[in-house]
Amino acid sequence: MREYELMFVADPRLSDEEVVGLSQDFQKMITDEGGVIAKEESWGKRKLAYPINKLTEGHYVLLHVQSEDSSPFGMARQRMQQSDNVLRYLTVRMDAGRLRTRKSDKPAAEEAAPTVEASTETAAVSEEEN
Amino acid sequence: MAPAARGSGKKKFYFRRRKVCRMCADKINTVDYKDIRFLQQYLVERSKILPRRISGTCAKHQRVIQQAIKRARHLALLPYTSD
Repeated sequence: MREYELMFVADPRLSDEEVVGLSQDFQKMITDEGGVIAKEESWGKRKLAYPINKLTEGHYVLLHVQSEDSSPFGMARQRMQQSDNVLRYLTVRMDAGRLRTRKSDKPAAEEAAPTVEASTETAAVSEEEN
Repeated sequence: MAPAARGSGKKKFYFRRRKVCRMCADKINTVDYKDIRFLQQYLVERSKILPRRISGTCAKHQRVIQQAIKRARHLALLPYTSD
């Protein structure tokens, strides 16, 4: 089972209820295709770091989804792409980094510790020429 | 002969403290793109990504940071540029 994170930025002109409705639509599309919603989090209205479509704010919504693969997102992604109400979206697989580091984690941690100390102070011995 | 020319003939040695990757030191291996506070440490004033040669980050962690910053930028959590 993999864990995915889906975040989207909705149009600030939508009311809070409309954003919830939008989020529920996407959630339904995901659950219909086998995804399990593990967490829903709304950040509310936030200022954007740069204007998108001349808008300076956006509703941020975060979903955590558990699924075997990324197939449940197909429909939701397509819908978000087409919808004018969604400014940005991003789906990220959350466990990918953990899987990749798991093998190297233990030996690397043991080896890394001593080398850091050894290299810090190679004293500055300045030899003056005569 | 002139005092200004003194250093030019021989090599200059700068003994600087060797920079250590902060993520290695803190044993952090993943970066969340939502952790803007953390990512901002790796941006210069104009919101460009801080190069490794300045921050001392190791290649592995620089990659992780870079990825997270780019994700955050896409979602307008961080700017692409700023003045």
